[in-house]
Amino acid sequence: MELTITKNATCTFCGCVCDDIELHADGERIVETKRACILGEAWFKNHTAERLYPDALIDGKPATLDDAIEAAADYLYNAHLPLVYGLSNVTCEAQREAVALAELIGGVIDSHTSL
Amino acid sequence: MGGKVTCTLGEVKNRADLIVYWGGNPAECHPRHFTKYTLTQKGKFVPNGRKDRTMILVDIRETPSAKAADLFLQVRPSKDFEVLTTLRAIIKGQRIHAETVAETGLTLEQLQDFAERLKKARFGVLFFGMGLSMTRGKHMNSAALLALAAELNAFTKFVAMPMRGHGNVTGGDVVMRWTTGYPFGVNLSRGYPRFNPGEFSTVDLLLRGDNDAALILGADPGATMPQPAIDHLARIPTIVLDPKVTHTSRLARVHITTAATGISAPGTVYRMDEIPLPLRPALKSPYPTDEDVVRRIYQAVAKKPAWLPAGKGRRNTEAN
Repeated sequence: MELTITKNATCTFCGCVCDDIELHADGERIVETKRACILGEAWFKNHTAERLYPDALIDGKPATLDDAIEAAADYLYNAHLPLVYGLSNVTCEAQREAVALAELIGGVIDSHTSL
Repeated sequence: MGGKVTCTLGEVKNRADLIVYWGGNPAECHPRHFTKYTLTQKGKFVPNGRKDRTMILVDIRETPSAKAADLFLQVRPSKDFEVLTTLRAIIKGQRIHAETVAETGLTLEQLQDFAERLKKARFGVLFFGMGLSMTRGKHMNSAALLALAAELNAFTKFVAMPMRGHGNVTGGDVVMRWTTGYPFGVNLSRGYPRFNPGEFSTVDLLLRGDNDAALILGADPGATMPQPAIDHLARIPTIVLDPKVTHTSRLARVHITTAATGISAPGTVYRMDEIPLPLRPALKSPYPTDEDVVRRIYQAVAKKPAWLPAGKGRRNTEAN
């Protein structure tokens, strides 16, 4: 299969956020990572486009995305002080949604910074 | 004490002739920091690259980063605060006793030489890692280093920058700052933001058992947090969004698989110097992005009756 080449790709493994990486991918996995360091190479090659996991799990059992979203919404809505935590390896767009959700559910929002 | 005198990594590349790493090991943790931003690059005002720059490493042990340094200063563990305050005293011309310096693991002569080098730099930068900010003294160590950088501006141009790990942890600070006014540990349970590290920071909340549900995204606390905090996450309904089934997913009630940030999910992330950069994903994921899933959870919660009395639930941070 022909490789697709992505130039100036951005690596999100560490805080350097190098944005000069050239990625060669075969549609399912990244096979070459030019200019990436050893940490970046491991990061890019460790994630594939394969369907390795179920869409969702509820109580450890495979579930549909819709059911999982409803279950998540119920748990968060019914909590007195829900916590929204992490936010390190997600985009700013997702972080912004997470802040809005934390306000809607009246919770605490926190990141790795507090560790 | 407070405030950060800082700059971008582009300015470091083009101007810095004295680079200090304190409590960090970039050779192993940020492998391209030396070559892309700080040491070896030729810059506008440092045309000879490495030859025009001096690097000093301050740490409690000789890490592989010491090989890149012109000068390595080995501080006795948990004495960073004492070293920083002694440097500040030397720079202000206050009297120092050699015996009080001795407990830091460095000599007065070493510290006087260090202070001279800091003052004589044309453009100096202090990078500090978790070896400083997460050991005895914690945020007071960071505050002492930031104060040192600020005070050095009486002599020359000097800046400080934290060596942030984890991809977009910087973006988390920035997004929370512009949406709530605070960078982390924000409690919105009264309908307005409150900030109090130690009270509203995650580990403290979990150790006290304050939370009765948790949504975890872009993190795996089940692998990194103290065991009593993990135990509490297992007691309460925990929801995990992650590209993989993680340690935290295994103790959670709900796990939702999402696309991997930057690999199959597009968006924006912040570099450690607070420069936002666009992602260019190389793959297409069969899973939705974190952004989509959080928005859908938001929409599902929004259909339920508001938890604040009618008319008082105006949402300041609303993204939709």
